[in-house]
Amino acid sequence: MFFKIAVRNIRAYKKRSIITVILLACTTALLVFATAYMDGSHERMIRSSVEIYPGYVQITHRDFRDSPSLENLIFDAGQVTAALADLPGIAVLTPRYESFVLFAAGNKAVGGMLTGIDPAKEGRVSRLWESRKQGEYLEETDSALVYMGSELARRLKVGVNDEVAFVGTGADYSFSADTLRVKGIFRTGLFDFDNRAAFVAKSYLDRVMGAENYATHFIVLPARPEEAAELAAAIGERLGPEYEAASWRQTMAGLVQAMRVDTIFGYITLGIIFIVIFFVVMIYTMLAVSARLREIGILRAVGTEPGQVWRMLVMESVLLALVSVVAGGLIGGSLAYYFKLHPIVFSGFEEQFKQYGLAMTDMPTAFAPLVIVRDMALMFVLSVAATLYPIHKVNGYRPIEAMHHV
Amino acid sequence: MVFPPRLARADEAAEIIKKVEDNLNGRSAVLKIAMIIKTSRATRTMKMESFSVGSEKSFIKITYPGKDYGITFLKINDAMWQYVPRIEKIIKIPASMMLQSWMGTDFSNDDLVRESSISRDYTAKILSQSDTAYEIELLPQPEAAVVWGKLVMGVAKPELLPQSVRYYDEEGVLVRILEYTEVKRLGDRLYPSRWVMLPQDKEKYGNQTIIEITEATFDVEIDEEYFSKRALQRFSE
Amino acid sequence: MFRITCRIAWASLARRGSRSLLVVLMIAMSLWGLLFLEGIYDGMTEQMISNAIRSDSGQISLFAAGYRQDPDLDRLISQTEEVGRLLDNDRRVRSHVQRLRQDGLAATAHYARSVTVFGVDLGAERAHGRLDRYLIAGAYDFGDRKKGVLLGARLADKLKVKIGGKLIVSAQNSAQEVAGVALTITGIVRANNMALDEAAVFIDMDKARELFMTPTGVSQICVILQDEQDIAALRQELQQRFPDLEVLRWDEIYPALLQGRVMMKGFNLVMSLLIFGVAGLGIFGVMVVSVLERLREFGIMLAIGTSFSRVRQIIFTESFILGATGYLAGSLLGGATLVYFYHHGLDLTVFSQGLQEFGMDAITYAVIRPQYFLTAFGAVMLATLVSVLIPLRLLKKSNPIEAINKV
Repeated sequence: MFFKIAVRNIRAYKKRSIITVILLACTTALLVFATAYMDGSHERMIRSSVEIYPGYVQITHRDFRDSPSLENLIFDAGQVTAALADLPGIAVLTPRYESFVLFAAGNKAVGGMLTGIDPAKEGRVSRLWESRKQGEYLEETDSALVYMGSELARRLKVGVNDEVAFVGTGADYSFSADTLRVKGIFRTGLFDFDNRAAFVAKSYLDRVMGAENYATHFIVLPARPEEAAELAAAIGERLGPEYEAASWRQTMAGLVQAMRVDTIFGYITLGIIFIVIFFVVMIYTMLAVSARLREIGILRAVGTEPGQVWRMLVMESVLLALVSVVAGGLIGGSLAYYFKLHPIVFSGFEEQFKQYGLAMTDMPTAFAPLVIVRDMALMFVLSVAATLYPIHKVNGYRPIEAMHHV
Repeated sequence: MVFPPRLARADEAAEIIKKVEDNLNGRSAVLKIAMIIKTSRATRTMKMESFSVGSEKSFIKITYPGKDYGITFLKINDAMWQYVPRIEKIIKIPASMMLQSWMGTDFSNDDLVRESSISRDYTAKILSQSDTAYEIELLPQPEAAVVWGKLVMGVAKPELLPQSVRYYDEEGVLVRILEYTEVKRLGDRLYPSRWVMLPQDKEKYGNQTIIEITEATFDVEIDEEYFSKRALQRFSE
Repeated sequence: MFRITCRIAWASLARRGSRSLLVVLMIAMSLWGLLFLEGIYDGMTEQMISNAIRSDSGQISLFAAGYRQDPDLDRLISQTEEVGRLLDNDRRVRSHVQRLRQDGLAATAHYARSVTVFGVDLGAERAHGRLDRYLIAGAYDFGDRKKGVLLGARLADKLKVKIGGKLIVSAQNSAQEVAGVALTITGIVRANNMALDEAAVFIDMDKARELFMTPTGVSQICVILQDEQDIAALRQELQQRFPDLEVLRWDEIYPALLQGRVMMKGFNLVMSLLIFGVAGLGIFGVMVVSVLERLREFGIMLAIGTSFSRVRQIIFTESFILGATGYLAGSLLGGATLVYFYHHGLDLTVFSQGLQEFGMDAITYAVIRPQYFLTAFGAVMLATLVSVLIPLRLLKKSNPIEAINKV
């Protein structure tokens, strides 16, 4: 019965209903979209910085992260690969061998990092392949061909097909040097990385550095990146105490924290908008119910209980809120979905993004139905709550008072 | 009786150190050296020839293993270059690499560059002496660019040859020990033919680098040609 | 006349007390929130910019041509005196410092790291960028014999050193030899400028000249002006005067920071529009209803000869009183909050690891700009006035006589 009356009343006060619905729907859409944007951009930022090079899960010798010396390498890479072969959840597993060397070309000598990779697998776990700017990416069988960061190439004054020598220490501490030919040049946009890093096929580096079957670390691409931490734990268990498996949450703790700060500020910002909306809804309800004071007075005079009036009015606001929240959720949700497929592009802000370790400017939103429903529920509670005070106030009048109220 | 005894002893200590250095370096020296590097994983041997004049100039050529044959190093005062035949390049070792390990040994580039400047960089004091040896404390001069807090050197009497050097950090923590053993006649003098570097740092504990001097000639004329950048390539063959 | 208008307006607002109060509260709260956000966000951005300017770039930096591409002791600014004199005599310049820099190595008995060695004059740096304020341990002093060294906080962590400890700093000098010097760590600085915190070693300028064997010349001259407005003009003048030097603005050296500032401005604008848009909607609803409710009342006023402009005045005044009261309350609240955070700062030390990663301070001090209050005043007034226009149209369209007879 209350439902019918409520619907009739909503119809009767069309203007107020429409304005309230528009307002609430827009706010819901805003909240849904803002959350989707925030979550989406954070995920994008994390993905981007994780995927450029560090990887979701890193497997190292147990002491390597504290003391990255030649004593703490993985000395049996084959065994690691074998042990993890049947572990579910791993999409790609690939070893790397990193070594600090002195690069020399012409009369320039520059310190940097020479890393042996499995080119095909590496292309799936990091952005190296996609970041190619000139020349070609590496192949497994490449010997003495190097794929070099753009800034490092600039400092050494070399281009594709030029020669670069390196001098370093092999895995057995022996002397290691060779002349490489630049096969390709990459630019991830991360200055520090482009400025120091160069890559060669691991099979080749293993030969020159005496590092057959060695690795400084393994990178794991999880089948589901969001479960990286669980996967790292599972890998750790499988490999035993001699190894350490750390997810990006550990290897990039600072980034994780920065995203958290950003989220907090995002919610503070949204919170302030909500306060304003809360007041507006309250004001509109106030206006609506006080315009109907006489009607309410009459209802009361003919014997309607205050509780019944209360229920009737609350039912109205519940219905309005429901309609608005659903509409807003749909709008916000479809926006989130649209911008997930067609990311927002911040051209002209490359430097700002780079500073955050990001080499991209497009920000897809996240589309997570559960989060959308959560935001809708939040808005629903908020908008119903905003009407309670005015309803309570109106209901406080005595029938005669209310009837005579102008 | 007039002189304060400590001053006398300090002078005496400085004298001893100077003599030890002279005995070790000679006016000039041509050495054949084998270096054995032991880590928890492997043992590796290198052989080389070294030509030096005092402590200012030296030229080193690797002769073994074959793949490293002909790598040469030149040190003049505080600068260091290396030549690698495989890449046909002379590379100047930049400042930022000076404290890196030299050829994977427990010696740094810097050890080679300032190897025998103890008498210049430290003030010496005799801590104790027995019939067979002195124990001398070496404190860095305030101006000296050395990382150590203190060295303690054992010197054998009466030849004044080093027995060991213990390297401490500023807090008095022992960082590494260099032992000189197996004194025998080399060239015109008695000489410690086996040097062992024992790092004491947690990270490298258990490693060691052994230097064996197999042949030595002292105080001969060495062609000045060796101490030029041209020599790096020229004598690499 | 005006007093009567005000009285009528006030009376009708008072009659709907709780409604008016809600509107005032709404405006006050939205303003409060907006001021807080603007102040804190601007504080964050400006602090990052100021850290970079103070600790490194100045607002204008001069380098020898080609130095930035290939930093080398061969490429130093030689006409230091001439530049110095010019800057000294320029009224627009607040301060300037000269620095000498060279890549090198810092080492203890246990660790060694690549560093950037800066030769500086501590007194000048204090007056210039208040470098002393970045000190987190030890003393801002190189000692009597100038053998002290200040180093970046992250560098100090990595070298595991303490105040009073010995540090050997070596670098290649102008004679192409590696020269070293033994120094004592006198202080540790954290400028929240990543490059510096990670690798900077500050030593006395004369010590640096000795070490690098560069009796004259400097790598960089940093200038801070009295007024940000003059940057472009001074830069151009300097460039004309010294064509063989590279003269750069801070935002050319730290482009990310400028973009951050632009982004923040855009964000603040969107926020203001949003908040005042919604708040305007609130006022609008109240004014529509209050005009419609009183159609009869206004009908009578018009019927007894009150001019329409008078009625309009009353309605405007009502709206103005609501807006102005809300504005006053909001500005007081927001202003007080900003003053608090201006002095005490917003402490986010819990997240310091994340913040430092991106060159931000753990404590953000709010910025207070008159412009916040002016813009907000304009926006509130605009919202209140615009929100009355439609109710007035409604009133004008309705026939007063009809209105009287209505109900």
